[in-house]
Amino acid sequence: MKKLIMIAIAAAIMIVPSMASAQTASGTLTVTATVNGSISLVFNSDAAGVALTGSGTNAATLAFGNVSAFGAVGAGVVRTTAAASFTVSSAVDVNVTKANSASANYTLKAQLGAADATNTWQVGGVTVTNAAAATVTATGAYATNNNFPVAITVPFATASGTVISNTINYTATAN
Amino acid sequence: MLNKSNSIRMTVYAALLLAGASLWAQTTASGTINAVFLNESGIALIFDTDPGGVPLGASGTTAVTANFGTVSAFGPLAGGVTRPSVTAATFTVRTRFDVQVIESGLASANYTLTAALQGAAPVGFTYAIDAVTLTGAAQTIQVNGAYNVDVPHNLDLIISTASPTGGGPSVGTPASQTINFTATAN
Repeated sequence: MKKLIMIAIAAAIMIVPSMASAQTASGTLTVTATVNGSISLVFNSDAAGVALTGSGTNAATLAFGNVSAFGAVGAGVVRTTAAASFTVSSAVDVNVTKANSASANYTLKAQLGAADATNTWQVGGVTVTNAAAATVTATGAYATNNNFPVAITVPFATASGTVISNTINYTATAN
Repeated sequence: MLNKSNSIRMTVYAALLLAGASLWAQTTASGTINAVFLNESGIALIFDTDPGGVPLGASGTTAVTANFGTVSAFGPLAGGVTRPSVTAATFTVRTRFDVQVIESGLASANYTLTAALQGAAPVGFTYAIDAVTLTGAAQTIQVNGAYNVDVPHNLDLIISTASPTGGGPSVGTPASQTINFTATAN
């Protein structure tokens, strides 16, 4: 009997350590990243303007459709007529967002992608050409839709059916 | 006299060596070695670079580094780094890395992987692996890890968009954090 007890105790001693020592392995992963401040610009359709294709992105299309000095114009298009030209415009929202930046506001510039010797282009009331970037605002507010209407002034001398197309490049710079 | 004795001794040695070589060529001998070894069971954990992630420093070892490079909410990112989300409050940058747990001599079918931050995270940073947010306490990442294969994991850095003066992360300064992993055989 005593011998059986001894054997049982010995067996228990042998079993307990194997149960207690779970097999583990470890490793370390050191992660490094450097944060930089950044800003983002997107175009949004303005409720009062023409619906943009690509709204919410930084590459949108504003299609005025058929325009004329005296005929009907599309929804969202505002027209004014002068003695020898007419101007069509549409509200366009620009939303600039910042991250990891203490910048209070931004400067927005615009420039035509190609020369247009016939028509006059304006963004937010500022004439833009392809010669140099024009400052549209120097105090743009972040994280809100700012309406900077796009306007094109077309001479009466323009032939009917003429397609007017250009790209306006916008650049926002954190102040 | 001493030189002569040395010469005789060298001659005898040479003769013995030659005789030995001759005998070896003409006979065979056999022997047995009774080798006894103890097969120690165990597991080991290493990190491997994932093809879709940033190259790990010291890949294939137990102590590696992952450098995201320069990250921002809207700017370009390094190869192997993606930006799955940007919100007004945070942006997330992600890379993938592989964990391989090697098993030997165990009856264990799989392993449990846990991870914990070593020390406090840099201001403005939150770390997550496979969407499990890490803290100073071990968090379970996987409960059924397969042995002896690279198991990919997503490492997310969730970074506040606040400015440094507004409680956000430091800008332009590398922020480092070590994550401790433990694999336990099931």
